[in-house]
Parts: sequence; C-alpha cells; structure tokens
Amino acid sequence: MPVLKEMIDVITMKSDRPVRRLVAYYAIVAVVVAILAYFFPGEIARIAAKGLGDVPEGPTVLTDALSSSPTSSVSFGPGTLFDVSLTTVMILIGALVLILPVTWVYMSARPSGGQHNQNVVQTLIILPLVVAGIVFIVQNSLALAFSLAGVVGAVRFRTTLRDSRDLVYIFLSIVVGFAAGVQSLAVGAVISVVFNFVLVLTWHYDYGRNMLMPTASAQWSRPLQALASPTGDHQIPDRDLILSLTPENAAALADRFTRVQKAVGSKKKKPRFDSILTVTTDVVSQAQGRIENVLERMTKRWSLDEIVTNVGKPSEIYYLTRLKKSIPRDVLLTAIHESAGDVISSVDLETGAPVEKEKKEKKDGVSA
Amino acid sequence: MTGRGWLVLLLCAMPGVAACRDTPKARAAELQKIAAVRKQELARRIATADAAPEMALPLAMWIMPPQLREISGLALTSRGTVLTHDDNSGRISEIDPKTGILVKAFSLIGNQKEDFEAITIAGNDIYLMASDGKLFRFREGADGQQVQFMMFDTGLGKKCEFESLAYEPDSTRLVMVCKRTLDKQATKDLVIYRMPLPLNRGTFSIVQVPLKQVVGSNKWKSFRPSDITIDPFTRNYVIIASHEKGLLVLTPDGDVVRSEPLPGDHRQPEGVAITKDSILLISDEANVKPAAITLYKWRP
Repeated sequence: MPVLKEMIDVITMKSDRPVRRLVAYYAIVAVVVAILAYFFPGEIARIAAKGLGDVPEGPTVLTDALSSSPTSSVSFGPGTLFDVSLTTVMILIGALVLILPVTWVYMSARPSGGQHNQNVVQTLIILPLVVAGIVFIVQNSLALAFSLAGVVGAVRFRTTLRDSRDLVYIFLSIVVGFAAGVQSLAVGAVISVVFNFVLVLTWHYDYGRNMLMPTASAQWSRPLQALASPTGDHQIPDRDLILSLTPENAAALADRFTRVQKAVGSKKKKPRFDSILTVTTDVVSQAQGRIENVLERMTKRWSLDEIVTNVGKPSEIYYLTRLKKSIPRDVLLTAIHESAGDVISSVDLETGAPVEKEKKEKKDGVSA
Repeated sequence: MTGRGWLVLLLCAMPGVAACRDTPKARAAELQKIAAVRKQELARRIATADAAPEMALPLAMWIMPPQLREISGLALTSRGTVLTHDDNSGRISEIDPKTGILVKAFSLIGNQKEDFEAITIAGNDIYLMASDGKLFRFREGADGQQVQFMMFDTGLGKKCEFESLAYEPDSTRLVMVCKRTLDKQATKDLVIYRMPLPLNRGTFSIVQVPLKQVVGSNKWKSFRPSDITIDPFTRNYVIIASHEKGLLVLTPDGDVVRSEPLPGDHRQPEGVAITKDSILLISDEANVKPAAITLYKWRP
C-alpha cells in the first residue's frame, strides 16, 4: 500500500483533492489491467466480461462421458483445478481493487462534523469478497442457490445503520461482489468509478442542501455575535441549535466562545471587535497574506480567529475585525476582492449588533 | 528483501510466467496432443465395436458446454467437423466429433432469437431452419464473428411444424420433414417437402409415406421426426424421432428401408448426421442428463 500511495502522490503531485486521487488510482488500475490483459488475455477476459454472455473462448476440449482417461476432462475453460483457483483469486483481487476507493470515499466524503463508522468500512471491504465467492459457487446451479438460501436463512443478523447513506455503500459493495462473482468485473469497475465520482462531486458541491437552511459558518456566527453584544449577557440565542449539536460540536463551540471572549475583552468594556470576516479559499497561505495586507490598511484592528482546512473543498479563514468608521463594509469587501479575488472563492463580513445599532441611529439622525 | 522489492520482483516475473504458460502456440500444441490421444482411443473403440456389431456400443459421448444446452440440428462440413446450434439462439458451434474439440463459434448478426430446429450445409451456404419453416441462409464465420444472413419464408409454416432439414446434393434440393402436420388430410402420413435450390416458393415437391409403413413392427403410436440426414453411402434419408426414440431409413422415393429403435439410451435426440467414415452422430438436448453428442458405428 505505501507503494500505491507513493504512486498516487507522484501522479497527483501530492494533492489532497479526492477527485484527483481517485483519477490517479483508477489510472494506475487501468494501466495494470492493460498490462495483464496483454500477457494474460484469456484470464482477464474470463473475469472481466464472461458473465455478460457467450464470449468466444477459442477451442475448448469437451468432456468424453465414456472415458476416464485424463484427456477426457481436460478443458481450457473453468474446470481444471488450476483454472478454478486462479479465477477465484483473480475475482477476489478484482473485487478488492474496486471496493478500496469506495471505502476511501466513504471515509472522506462525510457531511461536516460527521464521523465514519469503522465497522461499515471493514464490512465494505469484506462483503464483496464474500458475495463474489458465493455467486461464483452458485452460478448456474439452481440447487445450490436454494441450498444457499436455506443456509443464509438460518443465520439471522440484523443491524441498524446510523446513516441511511451507509446502506447505499453496502449495496454498492454487494453489486461489486456480484459483478466479480459472475466474472463481469468490467461492469463492477464502471459502477465503482461512476459511483465514486458522483458521490465525491455531490459532497464537494454540497448538492441537495436546503437553501433556506443556514450554512455551517452562519450557524456559528450568530452565537458569536450574541457573545460580542454590548450587553454582555452571553445568552444562547438559539436554544434549538445548541441542543442539536453533538457533544463534540458543543465542545468545539464552547472552545470558540472562550476564545472569542478573550478577544472581545471584559463585559463592561467596549468590544474590541465588532465583525467577523469569513473567507473561503483553496490556497490559504496566499489568500491570508493578501487579505491581511488589506485588513492592516482598512481596519482599526483585526485578529486571525481560525483557519478551517478542508480536504476536497475550499478552506475557511475567519478574522475578528473592528472596522474604521470611515470604511463601510462594502468598501472593505471590494478591496479584498481586488487584492485577492483570484485566490479566494468567497468573502463575507458579518457585523455585530452595536455596529448595526450605530448605523441605524446615524441614519435616523440624518433623516430627522 | 523489503515488501517493495518483492512487488517489483513479482511484476518482473509475471511476463515470464505468462510467456511460458499460455501462448497460442503452446495452446495449439496441447490441443494437437489431446486430439492425437483421442483419435487413437476412438480407433480402438471402433475396433471393439466392429468385433461385436450386434451390441451397438457408443464410440464416444461428448458433453456439451452450457451454451449448447438445447443442442438441436447437426450438419457435417467438408472438413469432417459438424456444425450445431442451440434451439433458441442463432449461434453456430463447430465441433470435431472425433476429438471432442469445440473448434469455434459464430452467430447470426444481431443475435437472432428464433425457435431454430435444424441446420444443413449446401455448398458454401449454411441453412438454419426455424420451426415455422423460415430458412436463414448465411456463410460460415470465424470464431466470435457475427455473420449476415438472408431470411426466406417457405410459407409452409401454416401446413407443418418442422424440426428436420437436410441438403440432398445429388438433386440440389433441401429436404424438410414435417414433425406435426396441420393439414387434416395428411394426418396419417409422414410428409416430406423438397425444395430445389435456389429457393422458390412455387417449386417444392411433396412425398407422403403412410405412418403405418413407417411404424412397421415397432410399438410407436406415431413418428414425429426431429432431424434428417442423408446417408453418404446409399443416399437414403435417415430420420430420427425424439419422442419415439426411433430411427427410420427411407429411399428418396419414399420407400421404407427400415425403422427401428435408436441405439443406446437417448433422452431427447434432436440431431443426426452420418460421417463419410461410417460414424452415426446423434445430439441430445439436456434433459435430466447433460446435452451431448453420441457417436455410433453406422451400418447402412
């Protein structure tokens, strides 16, 4: 495996992006299969596309039912001990090769804060091997299929999956196992490739997210604003939101409250920062340098709050800022866009309640 | 040695192993070896059968692969091999009956699905017949090839259900035997249609043989032919019936030479052919036993 990882690193130039790594993996597999197909065309055809129909296999020696001589049972198709063993090993390795990237996708493409289940990962690897073995034995035998149904019926197991998406992975694992078992690994390969890429892309673009629901960062910023309120009562603004957090997330939130409190100072004093600048970018270091130059020029004070590094999707940088009165929000955002527009995906400035209040008073005063 | 070292060694060794193991040349050599051994064995069995002509011993029984589970017609090629096909697909397989080697397989373009019942060879053309009397004409293809075909409807589907087809080289005509006649006036006859080549709907002739003569002293209630072939020595029609498990020899004029039970134990005999070196081939569809082609010594 370290060799494979090194090869993938070389091809992807050590990129952490799942799509690139998947492409690299499948490219390596394709090259290896092409080499094997060149040297072992018969064997590769047998495990890759046999189940699809009657594939011509060239001359085949038929069995003579009247003879017990060794030549009577010689066959170039599956049948000899060597061929059956070789085919079995090859379909199992093929199933393993196809299911490995699925487990990687399962482990990495989780919703924010979601944890993968190690049992499911291990099941995903083992299941296709078992299914392939069963299908390979049962193939074309109704009697064996019924026997298998009887045996499996006797073994009861029930398990509840935590995430309904895990079920899809399990199904895919079974499909790959079936494809391997009926010696149609080509079908399994296509399904594995399409499944992985569709899944990574839907995860990358957060496909299906309810537009009315606040984003993760927005959910965090509101309690932070409340914390930074001049009254300093530190009340939790959205009880339901807090209750919906997992213990890990609640701990992270608490930690963040503490850090922000340190930044804003004591209750009685005027808050040191009155806004949060959120930047999403693929190149954190470049974006950071340019944004900080702008902040240096256009804010009264600023502090880097947090950098959330994501693999496969843009990372997020959070700054606590206090704007100069002469610099409106839009001017700052425009300046950031001008300075770092080519390296950032998005930028947003959320201002706290005192600023909004001040602005409103000013506006009222002008209108009066 | 490290794990990576072993991996590199394995990758380097693979081509060598592959080269030694499974080259076309090595495969052909192995096939030749098997064929030689089997021909020798067949010669020994023929000698044994000749020594006891009254026993009708099978000379060989080749078990068919799954794609020929419903093996139907047989047709001899000029090379001494037989062409055969599955009942419900236009896939033709070539088998060497003396060595039991499935030489190649090709199919009609578009993987035609019909109730194919019989096959015969007329010169360079191969004819495959469906039970409703449709004839599919095509040329022999290479292994794995799909071949173009021409379909000709004899129009006899309304009169008969067919399972038998043979080519009579002397009179360049196709011979088709009716398995079940739909013509109420001919229910007590065995009806044989003969169509001269090139095919033309209006040029066929009919031979009717009373079933009584066909059945003779056998205990059959009827005689429903499942295939026909031409005896290469006498030019007589040799017809087999699956249900009755019987064999009928007729002259081209329709005179019964003999009718008798088939030799050996056959579950569902669907095809018949006779080689120029006096070997009778009978194909059986899978029915409790696996599909097979059985060889007997042919005595005209």
